[in-house]
Amino acid sequence: MKALGRILIILVAFAVVMGITYGTVNASGSSSTSTPQFESGERPASPSGQFEGRPEGQEGGGGLMFGLIKNIGIIAIVVTLIALPKSVVQKKKRTTAVPTE
Amino acid sequence: MTEIQTKTKNQTKVKLVIDVIIFIAFLVALDPRSSGIAVHEWLATATLAALVVHLLLSWDWIVQITRRFTGRVNSQSRINYILNWLLFIDGTVLMLSGFMISETVMPFLGISLPRGFAWRSLHDLTANLFLLLLGLHTALHWSWIADTFKRYVFQPVAQIFSSNKRKDMTA
Repeated sequence: MKALGRILIILVAFAVVMGITYGTVNASGSSSTSTPQFESGERPASPSGQFEGRPEGQEGGGGLMFGLIKNIGIIAIVVTLIALPKSVVQKKKRTTAVPTE
Repeated sequence: MTEIQTKTKNQTKVKLVIDVIIFIAFLVALDPRSSGIAVHEWLATATLAALVVHLLLSWDWIVQITRRFTGRVNSQSRINYILNWLLFIDGTVLMLSGFMISETVMPFLGISLPRGFAWRSLHDLTANLFLLLLGLHTALHWSWIADTFKRYVFQPVAQIFSSNKRKDMTA
């Protein structure tokens, strides 16, 4: 019962954010009314006109590895930039906290 | 070991497994060009359920920080809290924009939505932001990740190997 209530709160939070986003996009008039539509089942190209997605079933063997490695690389850089200085600072704090004999 | 300690230990293990699953799922889902649109959409939709479980497992922390946010909370928890909200909002917008331009999930469910290029742009923008926020989220929890992996993955594996080695020595 407790978990159900919590799930409900999370779903309500999802719904609120989705509702605000939907309302904002529609109110800005840049959604279905003023921009070109596309047929159902077709993925829209980006505004620049380039199709960024890859049709299903046509992905290359090396593509999966490249995409994953790129994403892991970005996350690894962010983690290194933050976690490494943080651990250095924590170590320094610990060493200064211990009184020297 | 007390009942509370056992419960906490089990909860940490469950959390670790779910977090690893979510992380891998997001990494695959964030690259639709390589995974294919169908995998991208279904995986992202399934991750939504895993995300709810992730939030439920962190519920106590969320409630605690929400109550004390304006009061006495250390700066790291405050940054973490703000970042988690940004991640939640960005993830939700990413999910909604994904549903709006869906080619597989929504047609499968028989739902047709008004679609436009704005949703596509929003989806690309939030996806890029999500990757960055996911990196920040991982970075801020890095000590927990490293400690938990060490305690529940590396140490048990090392123990298995060392016990096997001892058996070989005695044989």
